Amino acid sequence: MKDRVRALDSRLLGVILALMALGTLTLYSAGRNTPQATIWLKQTVWNLMGLALMLLLANTNPRRVLRYSFPAYLLGLAALVAVLVVGKKIGGATRWFVVAGQTFQPSELMKWVTLLYVSQRLGSRPADSIGRLELLGAVGLVAFPMLLVQRQPDLGMALSFLPILLIIPLMKGLRMRWVVALILLVSLGGFGAWKFALKPYQKQRVMIFLDPSSDLQGKGYQVNQSRIAIGAGGLIGKGFTSGSQTQLNFLPVKTTDFAFSVWAEERGFLGVLLALGLFGLLLSRILDAAKAAHTTAEAYFCAGASGIFALHLLVNVGMVAGALPNKGMVLPFFSAGGSSTLSFFLALGLIMGILYRSKVK
Amino acid sequence: MDPRQRPLLHRRLGVFKGLAWSLVALLVLIYAWLQIVRHGEFKQLAMQQAVKIRPIAAPRGLVLDRNGYRLVDNRRALHLVIQREDLPTRPEVVQSLAQALELDPAGLARKIQSYRLAGKGRPLVLKENLDDAGIAQAERVRARFPFLSVDVAPRRVYLGDELAGHVLGYVGEVDEPMMKANPDVFRLGETIGKEGFEASGNDKLKGVDGQRRILVDQLGTEVAHFGQTDAVAGRSLYLTLDAGLQKVMQDAYGEEAGAAVVLDLRDGGILAMYSSPSYDPNLFLNRLSQEMVDRYLNNPTRPMINRAIQGIYAPGSTFKLLVALAGLEKGVITPQTVIYCAGKKNFYGRDFRCDKPTGHGGLNLVQAIAQSCDVYFYEVASRLDVDDIYATAEKYGLTERTGIDLPREKRTRIPSRAWKRKAVPKDPKWYAGETISVGIGQGAVGVTPIGLARFYATLATRGKVLTPHLFYGFRSDQSNTLEPASVAPFKDTPLDLRNWAVLDEGLYEVVQSGTAAANPFIREIAREAPFVGKTGTAQVATFVDKSHYARQAKHLKDHALFAGYAPHDKPQIAFAVVVENAGFGSTAAAPIAAKLVKYWFVDRMKTPIPPPRGRMVDPFAPPAEAAE
Repeated sequence: MKDRVRALDSRLLGVILALMALGTLTLYSAGRNTPQATIWLKQTVWNLMGLALMLLLANTNPRRVLRYSFPAYLLGLAALVAVLVVGKKIGGATRWFVVAGQTFQPSELMKWVTLLYVSQRLGSRPADSIGRLELLGAVGLVAFPMLLVQRQPDLGMALSFLPILLIIPLMKGLRMRWVVALILLVSLGGFGAWKFALKPYQKQRVMIFLDPSSDLQGKGYQVNQSRIAIGAGGLIGKGFTSGSQTQLNFLPVKTTDFAFSVWAEERGFLGVLLALGLFGLLLSRILDAAKAAHTTAEAYFCAGASGIFALHLLVNVGMVAGALPNKGMVLPFFSAGGSSTLSFFLALGLIMGILYRSKVK
Repeated sequence: MDPRQRPLLHRRLGVFKGLAWSLVALLVLIYAWLQIVRHGEFKQLAMQQAVKIRPIAAPRGLVLDRNGYRLVDNRRALHLVIQREDLPTRPEVVQSLAQALELDPAGLARKIQSYRLAGKGRPLVLKENLDDAGIAQAERVRARFPFLSVDVAPRRVYLGDELAGHVLGYVGEVDEPMMKANPDVFRLGETIGKEGFEASGNDKLKGVDGQRRILVDQLGTEVAHFGQTDAVAGRSLYLTLDAGLQKVMQDAYGEEAGAAVVLDLRDGGILAMYSSPSYDPNLFLNRLSQEMVDRYLNNPTRPMINRAIQGIYAPGSTFKLLVALAGLEKGVITPQTVIYCAGKKNFYGRDFRCDKPTGHGGLNLVQAIAQSCDVYFYEVASRLDVDDIYATAEKYGLTERTGIDLPREKRTRIPSRAWKRKAVPKDPKWYAGETISVGIGQGAVGVTPIGLARFYATLATRGKVLTPHLFYGFRSDQSNTLEPASVAPFKDTPLDLRNWAVLDEGLYEVVQSGTAAANPFIREIAREAPFVGKTGTAQVATFVDKSHYARQAKHLKDHALFAGYAPHDKPQIAFAVVVENAGFGSTAAAPIAAKLVKYWFVDRMKTPIPPPRGRMVDPFAPPAEAAE
């Protein structure tokens, strides 16, 4: 066991444990005096399971994992199709499998599986420049699960696949003109999506983003309350379990999407600084792993992972502050949830494994 | 790894690391903006929605009769309300709320808007005085609209129901015209007296609202409370009314329309005042139903009018006392003047008939009053100018409002040359023939029952022009007893004793041997409690053939009047009774007066009528079994 623990990178582990501690405190405070009073305990169980999973993967050779990426990708696609057929519908979206009373969201895991497979494919080809076919292939590989996720519908989750498409080709030497072309494509696609594909509630979210005060009692209400919570926190915060916005339930969905607002209200700007600093260290250490990686595929995976973590950070922390649209993207270590927690730890485990291999050889 | 890839990869990873820290820096800036720069603003907002100030409605004072019996009580009631801070903004929310509560959406939106602009104060009441079904509905609706709340506030209960509807009036929410007219006096949502004494005595009865500072959660549920200012209840007060006498008066009217007033000759206090048909003020505490609009507002008998102070009636023969007084004081007749009645008399080329077609023969003033001879008073009037009659009326206060402490009293109409110029600009000239009609209280003469009662009180007191009033005094908070208010001022214009004696004797003879004496019931009561008075029968329409009288439509029948005082030797009360479309004063109005006198001087001492109990349903009581 001691040997196995030695496989964990101490700097990354330290950041993870610190963020876990902040997240657990936040959930304890958010769940107080609500039906979800024990949610911090439940999340701790998920976290412990995640740590175990991380430990296991850290001691596994990344190459062996990458070897299974193609069958895993196919399995993931099958799961995404299956969830549309037999999944449980909650709040107008079919995103969850229900197994033994626990809900499981396959798209959380699929994000990482897709990253893994794309890394493996593009990383296995030599060359410091990316071919058109390769790029198109990568686009196809990511777009397919993205569209299935969007069918559920789950725009936030679908968007969280995007870093894979952006970061890996850039790593492989994608020229800026391609990036410009991609951005054009995305804007065009965005326009098309607005016109034809977006559901009314999704359009509404964008509209509310553009003018939050237009809809104080509706969707914008959530963000408005969150901004009040954050702003009222001030420099040092209202104190643990003493935020009025949190404790009097003005803050909506405070154990998942808006968990960070709880932290911001009760711990203030200093607490925010601490949390964001830890996230910065997390991203930084993951990018270190990319640098140290033995193979290109492993480097791609780490870089892509940092992109996904960064996107979650940006969208969630930005959203609760009202700086970005209300997308419903979770914040790692803060938002409660089994599927996302296990998926994040799975990725972190792989990264730990990659870091460990780079050290031992 | 392909060594050729390393430099590119490292370069790009370096850029990514920079981007990652830039992202963190960006987020830090956003949070610094919200948490440090705009902290004050958001702190304020967080306070505003968690800390609420809830007004505590002050109960109004109770209203007691002169003996301390409750006429108006308070009970706890539940209202469905929106607190000021919780008023919804979105039109579609207002729309669906109006739908759920079956309210007019446009009206609700307007109300919400005006409440929002008005700031702090009483909550907006959507449904008042909830009963069991109402509470159930309120809870259902509240599940959909969490900003609604159920407020406990005192409500008024009028124990006598219709007993003294016009006198007491009722309360309601202050309306916009009223607010606009008195912007510094009334606050939006405030409960104020709308009618009757509730309105005129509003300042005496209202208390001072208190407030509670509470902490609420997102659903508006109170979580904690820090400090409150207690409401100060309004002071309870006594009216001069006697509930028993009032009940006798109400019962005496039955289905008949009209009004009666009994005055206390000591101070002008109103012992009883009833206007028939009456209304039940309890019904006006809730929003008016269509049934009530039909029953009260669209009713041709106009129950909402307080006939005692707003009904203008031709006084008929009851006016003859004023004409006699004018004649005596002007010197055109003396107490001994005898005038011959032949059943009719010609003035200015027109025949004026007497009530008795065969004529009364020669009469002195006492006999003329007792027999109510029209020709005698035609003759007196013909010797006077109309302005002489007006001057006498003015001298004894009949041309002015009595100044009773009730809202919207009408003024008595005593014609004069000046009056006609103003009132009939097309034919401003006063004709001498018109004075003849005024001599018997017809033509343009119109008096309110309260005005008539006060004039007879003036006769009874030999010249005191009293100010009728209902306010008797506050109830002492310590001893629960009356603290009498200072007596309303009165004007003293002493009558010449000789003149007064003949009028008094005339009134005495009316009951003993004159027009009212034919009724055995009246004679019997006059023996027990000697009362005096004058009958009056005011024409509503002129009939050619009186034999058809009984067959005439009810609404064309004459109004019956009786006004007088009692007891004869040492008067204590004065009264006026008007019964609409009831025929003769002697048969329709005098018996009511007799009943009042009998209760006041005889029955009250032996078997007083118990105080009113009310049949109001307590909104907190379990639903009553269907009676009947």
